[in-house]
Order: sequence, then structure tokens, then C-alpha cells
Amino acid sequence: MMRGFSYVTMTTMPSPSLVGNLWQQRMDGLREYEVVRDGNVFRTSFTNNFLYTSEYEQARQQLGAFREKYDGIPLSRIFSGKEKSTEAGVCFHISNNSEIPLPVFDSERYQQDLLTDLTLVKGIGEATCRRLKARGYVQISDLIHHPKYRSHAYQIMEQLNLNNSLQIMDCVGNRHAKSHPLILGAAGLHEPEDFVFLDIETMGLFSRPIILFGVGVVAHSRFFVHQYLVRDIEEELPALLATLDHLSDGNPGLVTFNGKSFDFPYFTDRLAYYGISQHNRIPHFDVLHFSRRRWKGRYPSLRLSALEEEILGVSRQGDIPGQMVPEFYEDYLRTRNCGPLVPIIEHNRQDVVSLARLFFFLLGETYGC
Amino acid sequence: MAVEDLLRLFQTNPIYRSRIVYTGISEPESPIYGSLDQPLCNELSLYLETNGIRLYSHQCEAINLLRSGNNVIITTPTASGKTLAFNIPVFECLALDPESRALYLYPTKALTNDQYATLHRMEKNSGIHILPAIYDGDTPQSKRAAIRENARIILSNPHELHHVLSWHPKWSNLFSNLQYIVMDEAHRYRGVFGSHIALLLRRLLRICHHYGSSPRFVLSTATIANPDEFSMRLTGQTFKQVNEDGSPHSRKYFVLFNPFFDGRCERSMHQETKDLMLSSIRSDLQTLCFTGSRKMAELVTLWTREDASRISAQLADSIATYRAGYLPEDRRKIEKQLKDGILKGVVSTNALELGIDIGSLDVVIMSGYPGTMMSTRQQAGRSGRNGRESLAILVASSNPLDQYFMHHPDQFFSRSHEHAIVNTENPYIVSGHLLCAAAELPLKDSDSVFFGDLFPELRKDLESHCLIRNTTHGGVYAGRGRAVELVRLDGMVGETFRVVCNGQVIETLDRGQAYREAHKGAVMLHQGEQYLVREMDLEMHSIKVVQSDVDYYTQPLKEVTLEIIGMQETRIVDGVTFGYGDVEVTEQYTGYKIKRKDSTIGFEQLSLPPLTFRTKAIRIVPSDTLMKKVTADPDLDPAGGLHGAEHAIIALMPFYVMCDRWDIGGLSSPAYGETGEPVIFVYDACEGGIGLCEKAFTMLPEIFSRAFKLVSDCCCESGCPSCIHSPKCGNDNQPLDKQATALILDWLQNLKFMQDPEDPDFQKHAIPAYSGN
Repeated sequence: MMRGFSYVTMTTMPSPSLVGNLWQQRMDGLREYEVVRDGNVFRTSFTNNFLYTSEYEQARQQLGAFREKYDGIPLSRIFSGKEKSTEAGVCFHISNNSEIPLPVFDSERYQQDLLTDLTLVKGIGEATCRRLKARGYVQISDLIHHPKYRSHAYQIMEQLNLNNSLQIMDCVGNRHAKSHPLILGAAGLHEPEDFVFLDIETMGLFSRPIILFGVGVVAHSRFFVHQYLVRDIEEELPALLATLDHLSDGNPGLVTFNGKSFDFPYFTDRLAYYGISQHNRIPHFDVLHFSRRRWKGRYPSLRLSALEEEILGVSRQGDIPGQMVPEFYEDYLRTRNCGPLVPIIEHNRQDVVSLARLFFFLLGETYGC
Repeated sequence: MAVEDLLRLFQTNPIYRSRIVYTGISEPESPIYGSLDQPLCNELSLYLETNGIRLYSHQCEAINLLRSGNNVIITTPTASGKTLAFNIPVFECLALDPESRALYLYPTKALTNDQYATLHRMEKNSGIHILPAIYDGDTPQSKRAAIRENARIILSNPHELHHVLSWHPKWSNLFSNLQYIVMDEAHRYRGVFGSHIALLLRRLLRICHHYGSSPRFVLSTATIANPDEFSMRLTGQTFKQVNEDGSPHSRKYFVLFNPFFDGRCERSMHQETKDLMLSSIRSDLQTLCFTGSRKMAELVTLWTREDASRISAQLADSIATYRAGYLPEDRRKIEKQLKDGILKGVVSTNALELGIDIGSLDVVIMSGYPGTMMSTRQQAGRSGRNGRESLAILVASSNPLDQYFMHHPDQFFSRSHEHAIVNTENPYIVSGHLLCAAAELPLKDSDSVFFGDLFPELRKDLESHCLIRNTTHGGVYAGRGRAVELVRLDGMVGETFRVVCNGQVIETLDRGQAYREAHKGAVMLHQGEQYLVREMDLEMHSIKVVQSDVDYYTQPLKEVTLEIIGMQETRIVDGVTFGYGDVEVTEQYTGYKIKRKDSTIGFEQLSLPPLTFRTKAIRIVPSDTLMKKVTADPDLDPAGGLHGAEHAIIALMPFYVMCDRWDIGGLSSPAYGETGEPVIFVYDACEGGIGLCEKAFTMLPEIFSRAFKLVSDCCCESGCPSCIHSPKCGNDNQPLDKQATALILDWLQNLKFMQDPEDPDFQKHAIPAYSGN
């Protein structure tokens, strides 16, 4: 192939990056939430992800305010954190701790409820359970002598005797809704230090980087929130590994709010994106499910922010809506002004704290002494 | 009554005889059986034996090649048993390795469903545990997880695959164990759509590589001129070809019928078609007629029934239209009635996907050349039942290509000239898929093996706009929105317009198409139906249309200007300059003509903004000597000559590269730009170019010689729709000078193009050699 030479021509254009421009233009108008006119309640039923105009405007104003306030101030002066080292590099680690009331778990009552729930045995429904109880089969172990149910009962007993929360949750989950008290109660098989409270902030609803990992753990009777911040996309993998670390030792119990649908699959997807497979099953307590069972119909909204106000009496100042997090973060990435990160980090920290408190509250209500 | 009786009628009836240009006969063929290098496993041998199947030569060839680890492209005709040729090696592989899996991709749901039924049957009858499953938009949520885990043959389509790739962790079973990727009807993956699919397949292979598998490809296509090039471009792999058909055929007749045999057509093409239809049905032959539009299908049916009713009511009732709007039950009814002989004749549109169950008939009439030899063969292939003789008739329209074939029947029956074009170097297409790839796995330098030469530059460009962020772990997608939602497999970057009728979106068009075909007041065709455009909202990107049934059509007028960015290739032969390279085209639609048949009955203005895009073009600058010859004769118009040559070249390009007339644009002038040189430009009408002019540039000598024949053969006086008039000329076919055109084309075809022995395509194409400057 021979190179020709540029003929004639009116103007020889330089080769601009037309392609990049085009895609950026396509994306500029995109948002993953809809901005809806205030009071337009009908519109909101069509989409879960919406913001009222007033909320949106307010958030935009806040963005400007945060930028102004923190202009030129480096991150280390705003948050006391340090670099966390992992196999794949570093990320920024911010840590806080606070008090936390812990319930005393009524282990006996839980065991009793488990062992007397005959419907855990395959083939036994509510009606059959009542009949069997009337005939003296009070506990699952009694069914070992029953001609029809002996083998299934034996299976269940084996599973329950392992005293392993995952096995018990599977067992109960096969026969009951995932919000059933016996599932929540399985948390009692863990020490408070085992729980890992997780809440993530992302750049979007799907297939974009996670930018902040909020991990709560109980230690020395205090509640610690470890936040792993992604200061640059380079730090996403290190932050993923730092978080994964919390889930790797001992007998972890994962606790989230809507994490079964969002946070945990998102987390494992991002690990897989970097070529790390996470196949270990970790017992997962999703507080959204337990909250729904407990408070559905009582409050108009069952979002974490609503429940924390009603149940825990927390009201946040200067908080930004979750949907705006990607925009705030993008602004930070572009300008390197750390202002927009402030509300994101605070929002996340409060989420983790409320998540833990709500969880222990529900556990205490269900199986507290 | 047999086909021979109808043919005798054609010979004895003077009206028919005068119009029949040629009758081609292909003699019956007995089957050629083949042998396998190694015997099949027991279950499959038993399966074939039980069903009385002996493998043909091409099936054995395909099986042998696939077993040896090759990628294979099978180009034997439909109904030659291609499906079995790839199902057998896949079944065998799955039987031997319990973990292995296969992916079957189909362009339409109907085909996917048919193949699923076939696989299911084969599984049951052979006893080999396959677990085929369809995974597409219709698959219920509850079944999806189980299919991902367990199904061993996944049937899907490209659009679903496009989305599935970003969920690859959930598909690790499939990608770790993928042995075969089977793509049927693969010739559909050409042009803009094909180029997207090519990039999609690269993303798929990249993910397979990540999970450690290296699947083999099986492509099944119709006959194309460039199977090696096509398969390589589509998948990035080398293939072995299987093209010798061993299946049996009975005698087939093919008649070329030209209503324009005397240069005019006194009766309309519809009427000529109707007559043929009626004669065929009266000869008691099951007949299928294909037409260009639903309107025409209805007219032909109406008139055939009218004439038939004069003979008997029963005959009239045996004719029906096969329509897109029918519910599946209605279509099944028609198919059954045809099978049972209650219906003798069915008229359909080209655009309609005929179900497999329509079966075969005795006679197929094609009213107007369907546009490609491939479609022609597929439509003609519908005739031929159970070892009986069959007949296909092509009724020519006034279009240049139709008429060209009527004058050169040998070209019609020769080997395929049609190249299926796939272009993996359009930066707009490639960049979109890079964004998707970055969202699937971090981009690494080593990914250039998948994405080609453009990869480094495009990646840098996307990174500079922060759509991808570079990290030590690779390039990570960080744009807004999901990458796969931004990239449409059948479009270009840029906004799309929605065409809405009665509140429903019936089609989406990109800006260029929208301005051209769906401007306010335009009469547009969609799937054979006619619509009138009521309004176009540029801001909202929506076009409101209503169904219409008017007897006029519209033709847009546009002004084109073009700037050369840089010519990549330049050759000079005898003073004539040939160039290929980048240009920037600006098209502006200024108004449209309202026409009935060939006369203009009105004109309206349009106020649309200009469209500017960069693309690839061929540039031809005639030598001074040539132009002197033209200007020497006062009766010849240089502008008209260049313009006519431009039209002739564009009219012939579909002969070589499978595309629509709309896919190519042109511009000519006796004194263009600052230098005032005479020039003809032909360009790809899509942003970034799609490979059409790139291919045509390597075939210019052939194109010129055929273009000259096209013009000189035409018995019109000064130009007509059969030679140099273009239905899409933005200048309203002005100025045109047939004699000047003939002179120019004659000169061009006689240039001494020397063959360049250095060129790898030396054997295939004559290429203008560099000889100057």
C-alpha cells in the first residue's frame, strides 16, 4: 500500500478527537435518575429512581457550596485517615467509632422456636403441623419416629445440629420467606464481632466503579466504621481487597440494607471484573427484608433514611440524596476539589451506623432477652 | 400439469415469447455421499441409521474439518442440510466431554425457535444429553439462572449477547467451557450491522480468553463472492471453506422476463406479473410471487383474482396475499392451505420473513430484482417440491441493474460477484465497543490483538475524555450510563429519530436517513407499507407519520459539498488520477419533488440544517486529454457526462458490494473547488466509512467496463432510469448527457491498468498501478 499525498484541498483539517467528543456529548445528558416536578406523585410511581426538582436544585446548590468551602484544601486536612496497603496497591482509610447498644440474645428461646417449627420439614404445612402437634409430635426430633416424615426430619436435624448460621438460614429459607424471624435469629449464632456491616457508594447503578466502601464492625464494645475511599480509580481494586479482608476471617456475618439486591452482587461483580472470584458463601442478613416484615404499612417509606428518623430518632443535616453521589464524585475527579467528597463520606458513615443500630434493634426485638 | 407445460405456453404465446430473454436450465443432480475420517460415536451413528440419513459430501467435509479443530464456513445453498453438518460435530463434542458447551447465534427469533425444536428432537432421538435452551429477551426471569448454569447449547441472538457479556461472571460455566460458536444466516452480518457484530464477537472472544477457552466458529452463509475475507473480518479467525454441494436436485428452470424488451413497457410491471401468475395457476402449479411492496402485492392479487374470476370463482378464491400484519394463526392457516392445495397462489412482499413451514412450491415469480443475487437465490430456492421440476421467473423492472441482467444473462448465472462487506476500522463503531469492553474487563495493551490497529489511538482518545480511566490494573470504564445501552448494534453514534405512527414507534432512523426519507411531507415505505410524514420535530427527535395510500411519491433534492481531508491512496494512470481517502461531506436537503410515475407534479421547500460527516471516498480526476475530447464536441456536455458516469458507477456498485443505493453518495463537477478540476467523487454515505468504497477502489477497472456496457447497451436516446437516471439524485438528474457519459466510461475502461505483482490480491483483481508523480 502506498501513501498518497494530500491533494489540492480547501483546508487540511488536523485530526481532532472527534470520537471521544461524540461519546462525551452522548453521555453528558445522561442521568440514572429522573428529575420530577414537585408534587407530581403520579410520575413517581413509574420509576423508583427519582428526585423532586427541589431536591435536585438543592443538591446542586450544595455542590457549589462544598466546592467553595473546601477549595484548595487537601483531603488529609479534612479527614483524618491513612493509606491502607493491600496486595494491589493503596487506598485511603478513614476510621470512626461510636457507642452502640447491643442486645442480649435469648439463645434458648431461639433454639426452642427452631426445633419446634415442624413446618421446616418438607411435606409439612401449617395444617399438618397443628395436627402433628396435637398428636404429640412437638419437636422435629420427635418426627424421627414418624413413618412418613422420618427421613426428611432426620435431614433437618442434621443440618440444625451443625449450629452453623448459613446452614440454618438455608434450611429455614427453603420453607419460609427470607424475612422470617428464624432467619434473623440465626444472627444469634454469631458473636457481635463477627458482623460486617456493609454499605457501598458507586458511580452508577451498574458496571461502574465503586468509589467508597463503608464497613462497620463491633470491637471492644464500640462500633467502628472503616471507610475505604477511592481517591482515584486506581484505588478501586485495593479498596475492594481491603473490604474483602473483613469478610475472610473467622465466622463473618454480612449485614446490609438491600444488599442482597444491590450492594453484595455489585461487590462480587467488581471483584470478578478485576479477575477475582469470590465463591465463599457468607451468611447474609438483609435488614430491608426484616424491616419490611416489621414495619410495612406503618410508615410511608421504608428507606433507611426514613427508618432511621422514625425508629432511631436520627435526623441528618446537610445530607445529599443517594442518587446524586455519582455526580458529586465525578465533580471531584474532574476538579480534584475534595469538597464534593465530604457529604458522600458523611452520608455513607451515617448509613453504616444506622444500619447497625437498626439491625441490633430488630434482633433485640425478635430474640432479645 | 407440469412445469414443462407452462414453459411450452411461454414458447408458443407470442407475447410471452417476445419478453423472455433467457431460459436457464440446471439439470438434475444425484446425491454425492461422503465419508468421515473417523466413525461417529454410537449414539449418532444409530441416530442417522434410524432416520435413514446418509451424509452428503459437504456434510462429511464440514464434520471432518471441524473435528480437526478448524473454523469452518459453509456456503452451500439452503436445504442442502447445513444444519446437520454442524449439529453432528457439536453433539459429538458434547457427548465426549460432559463439561463442554456451545453457543448458537441467530439473527431472528423465528430461526432460533426452529433450531431449538430441531436440537430438542435430535437430543431425544439420539439420547445424548444436551439440554438446549433459548436465552433471549423472552426468557422468563425464573428460568434464567438455571439456563446459565446448566444448559449446554445456548441459543440466542446478537442483541442479547451484547448485554450478556457484561454479566460474564454469572456465565462462567459457559465461557470456561465454550467449544463452538455457531452462526447461521451469517451473511446478514454485513454493512453497519455486520461491523458491529464483528466487534461484538471480538469482545466475546476476549472474554473467552479470560476464562481460558478458545472456541471454534461455524458460519453458515448464502453464496457470497468473498467467504474467506468475510469470515476473517467478521471473527478475526481463519476459516476453511465448504462450498461444494453434494445434495440432490431435480431439474430447475430459471426464466428471465423483460417487460421492457423493446425499451418501453406498455403495460405496467404489475400487469405483466399478474399475467404470469394467472398462467401459472391455471396450469395447476403452486405459485409464490414476491413483490417490492405491500401495495404491489395487493394490486397483483387483486388483478389476478379479477381475471381468475372470469374463469371460475374457485380459481379466484385460490389466490391470497401473505401479509406482515397477519397474526401467526392466520399465517399458519395460509401455509396449511397451500400444503393442502386449497390455495394455489400466494403473493408476498420481499421484506417479509417467510416461515419455514410455507414449504416448497412449483413456481416462484419475482417481480423486480430483489436487490441481491443472494435474495434472488433464496427466493428462487422456494420452488422445488419432492423431486419435482421447478421454475423461477424474474420479471425485470426498469432499474439499471435489472436491465443489465436482462441484457447479460450470462452474468446473472455466473458465480457470485457480491461481496459481503464488514469493516472493523470505523472509529465510531470500534470506539463504542471499546467502551463496552472496558466495562466488561479492564482494557489491557494486549487487547490490541482483538481490536486492531485503531486500538491504541482510540483508547487514548477515550481516556483523554475520562470515559475510560487508566489504572495499573488496566483501563476501567468510568463513563455515565451503561456502555451497552449507549451502543446500538444497528446504528452509528449520533442521535436517532423515532418514527411514530398512532403513538407507536415503528422505526428508528439516524439523522441522515431521517432527513432523506422522512422529512416533512415525505412518502415513506416501511416493511412494504406506505406512510406520509406529517411532522418532524428536530428537538425531540421524533417524526409523526400516518398510514397512507397515495399514488404519488416524493424525491428529495440536496446540495452536496465535499472537502478532501487526505487521500490515503493515489494512483495515476495515463494522466487520470484515482484517489481513495478521507473527506468531509456536507449534505443539505433543500426541498423535494412530488412525482407521479416519471412526471413531476409539485415541489416543496424544506428548511433543514446541513449534515456534515467524515467518511471515505473515491476520487477520479479525468485527464486533460479526455476532457478535451469531450469539450471538443459542441453537442456534448462535460458536466452531464461526468454526472452520468457517477450515476452509472453508483448503480453498479451493488453488483460488487452488497449494499443499498442509499449507502453510497456521489458528487461530480466539471470544475470543482479552488483548482477547478473536473472530478467524480463516490463516497460511503455513513459516518467514518463502512468499507464500500474501499472495496470498490480495488475493482475500478471492472466497474468501469461494466458501467460502459450498461450505458451502451441501453437503447434509450438520451438517458433513462435503466442506465444513467438515478432515483435518488439530489440534483433531479440534471445535467445528464448519455453520449458524453459513454465517451468518458469508454475512455476509463480502456486505460492500461497494469497488474501489480507485489499486490497480494494480484490473482483476484486488476489494480491500477502507481505510475507517476
